[in-house]
Amino acid sequence: MRLNILIGGKAGQGINKVSEIVSQVLIRQGYFTFNYRDYPSLVRGGHNFNILALSEERVGSFESKLDGMVALDEKTIELHEKDLKKEGFVIRFDQFEGMGRNLNIALAGALIKILGIDKQVLIDEIKKQFDNDETIAAAEKGFESAESKFDLKKLDNNVVMMTGSQAVAQGAINSDIDLYLAYPMTPATGVMHELASKQLDNNLMVFQPENEITVVNAALGASFAGAKAMVGTSGGGYDLMTEGLSLQGISEIPLVVYLATRPGPGTGIPTYSSQTELDVALYGGHGEFPRVVIAPGDPIECIEKTNEAFHLAEKFGCLSIVLSDKHLAESEFSSDRKPNKNLVVKVKRKVPGEAIVKTSSYEHDELGNTTESGEIAVVNAEGRLAKYDKIKEECKKFEMFKIYGDKDSKNLVISWGSNKTVILDAIAGEDVKFLHILYLKPLSDEVQKEMEKADNIILVEQNVTGQLGRLLREKTGIKIEKKILKFDGRPFTSDKLREELLKLK
Amino acid sequence: MSDVKNKLATKNENTWCPGCTNFLILESAKRAIAKLIEEGSKQEDFAMATGIGCHAKMFDYLNISGIYGLHGRVIPTCLGMKLGNPNLKVLGFAGDGDTYAEGMAHFIHVARYNPDMTLIVHDNQNFSLTTGQATPTSQVGYKNKAKPLGEFNTPFNPIKLALASGTSFIARCDSKDMMHMAEILEKAMKHKGFSFVEIIQDCAIFNKGNKGKDELMYKISDNSDSDVARKLAEEWNYNNEGGKIPLGVLYQEEKPTLEDKWPQLTELKEKKVSWKNK
Ligand SMILES: Cc1ncc(C[n+]2csc(CCOP(=O)(O)OP(=O)(O)O)c2C)c(N)n1
Ligand code: SF4
Repeated sequence: MRLNILIGGKAGQGINKVSEIVSQVLIRQGYFTFNYRDYPSLVRGGHNFNILALSEERVGSFESKLDGMVALDEKTIELHEKDLKKEGFVIRFDQFEGMGRNLNIALAGALIKILGIDKQVLIDEIKKQFDNDETIAAAEKGFESAESKFDLKKLDNNVVMMTGSQAVAQGAINSDIDLYLAYPMTPATGVMHELASKQLDNNLMVFQPENEITVVNAALGASFAGAKAMVGTSGGGYDLMTEGLSLQGISEIPLVVYLATRPGPGTGIPTYSSQTELDVALYGGHGEFPRVVIAPGDPIECIEKTNEAFHLAEKFGCLSIVLSDKHLAESEFSSDRKPNKNLVVKVKRKVPGEAIVKTSSYEHDELGNTTESGEIAVVNAEGRLAKYDKIKEECKKFEMFKIYGDKDSKNLVISWGSNKTVILDAIAGEDVKFLHILYLKPLSDEVQKEMEKADNIILVEQNVTGQLGRLLREKTGIKIEKKILKFDGRPFTSDKLREELLKLK
Repeated sequence: MSDVKNKLATKNENTWCPGCTNFLILESAKRAIAKLIEEGSKQEDFAMATGIGCHAKMFDYLNISGIYGLHGRVIPTCLGMKLGNPNLKVLGFAGDGDTYAEGMAHFIHVARYNPDMTLIVHDNQNFSLTTGQATPTSQVGYKNKAKPLGEFNTPFNPIKLALASGTSFIARCDSKDMMHMAEILEKAMKHKGFSFVEIIQDCAIFNKGNKGKDELMYKISDNSDSDVARKLAEEWNYNNEGGKIPLGVLYQEEKPTLEDKWPQLTELKEKKVSWKNK
């Protein structure tokens, strides 16, 4: 069974609380959930909605048709009624006049009843989050007012729920991060908030300076001084940082960058999602220097890949970019998979305080002295190239891509990043193999072999030019003709994507 | 002294023009650092960041740790070093183009953070390394290859800005007075918090129209009165219009530093460790 429930209202009415309570209850009942958050760039008013998908099996997306709707205002009904299935249910705000700020709690209570879950499970969850009788009473009132429509029995899956932001923060903590620097920018800000709230317990520090230029230069200064440093940003902030990335390239000071994207150019559509920044992640910053670009596809991979990014940055003195997007950063994913074994990240190099260490934005000799020598320029450029080969060798220890679906199928879907979970939902049971590329740079040589084995390749991306497609053509010579590209800032729905994929099969 | 100081030298060939007063700034920095080393600091505990410009060649001639950073980014690079290890003694060598043009935002904000570090601005009132274009402290009328019609805008006064931003130590020196610079740099490094030393460093090649200031200069004794500081700041407007140029510690005040404010950094300081060995 799989249900898609929309929860909508104005910003500030507490729709996230509804999905949080309901998801937590469902998780405790052993269900898988996926919660998509759709909100415009404003703080109060407007129209926000979440779509909560739930299933007995793994789920990582929602469908275009709704099984139910929880409306905190009339506009939610006006806007989304067209998507409601014929037998779909609606829980309306005006059923609970006079509830005030507990309206959302009452609606959550009603939804739990409709799903056929025990009242006690609901009350336990409410008590965990709020310690006041008024809120509990609101939840009870909501629960009592509705009729059960489903019968969600307890399952014994062991599921955890996480956003990509929480997972990237966890990966950083697992890598024993010392310093996180960022300037607020959606959708990267979640990691800053998460780490800031945990900084004292985890002996790390989160610093928000005056702009992204300071973020990156201070991170390099701190890393040089011996701290494990990471910065976070989105497209515009990343652009401001690129001179610093280039400084990383020549100075070889370890640096981890978290780049969470939203539709550009310019300010674009700031609170929506896109995969438009693969090009700049691969190439941003002048000069030729090695880097790693890794794009996890779900929160568990965010934990693993952030840890690998720290490992590689520290081991090779390189730039590691963890590429995410709003969809992965802010949606709530459930999982029953445990992350791979964590790599211990240690600073082994000599740092100031212990020795005299010099590095430079100029071409320099091994002691850090400036040089304009042509011979040294050649040695250094070749050295940077050779370093990239070593990085590539090291990356082979990790999952650089994963294959899903029917492993013998000649129909190959290729994609990256947050499309992973919706593609998994869309291809379930079909004659399709799915290649999910985690390391965009370095790219595994296996990718070409997989492409050569296929008769029919379909590219899925959230941008207008097919950035991964271009990269693959550059690296393999194979041009992918069939593409499913979406660039309205909204994620794929699994049913629509399935239709499109089957058309191209 | 000379043994300690000799260890601060490097073997790199010096490429400043003959007669450039950056030589004297280098010598005074070595003396001030040597003094601190003699008083118990380790040479390894010093770290610097430099910008890009003639001033920045300090990096190659001074044997302490450091990053030869990006143009305009001396302050954030130094700030990062303090975040990365609050026990380091951090020095920034920057140009006026570096600090007051490319990196102006940092100059204002660093005063708020008040990290325990020293910023030394080699103010030659032009972009020397890129052959003499006007900076925000060039005088009105300064003709250069980029502005053959002359600079139209009045220079801005970095001392006034530093005061307005809350900089906790502000000093001005003349690059021709090596002994005075050494004394002031030592005081700046010993100050607890962000110290800013503006050095009037006339270039031997470019912006020759800004010369003739020697007779305007006079030394003051250390000041910590903010009203007096404001008056001192007003005495010279960087615009070749006469006035008086006070040199010395124009203002000094004790206030909580970056390291005092952040418990994580306070702990590293108390334990005398870096993040690496936390
Ligand atoms: C981002 C950037 N812009 C421009 C330059 C070119 N550039 C190199 S040095 C310099 C001016 C240096 O002037 P200043 O900081 O006053 O130092 P000085 O040479 O006068 O000591 C400029 C503009 C650069 N290196 N980086
Ligand atoms: S151009 Fe001016 S500042 Fe640069 S080295 Fe020559 S004299 Fe010194």
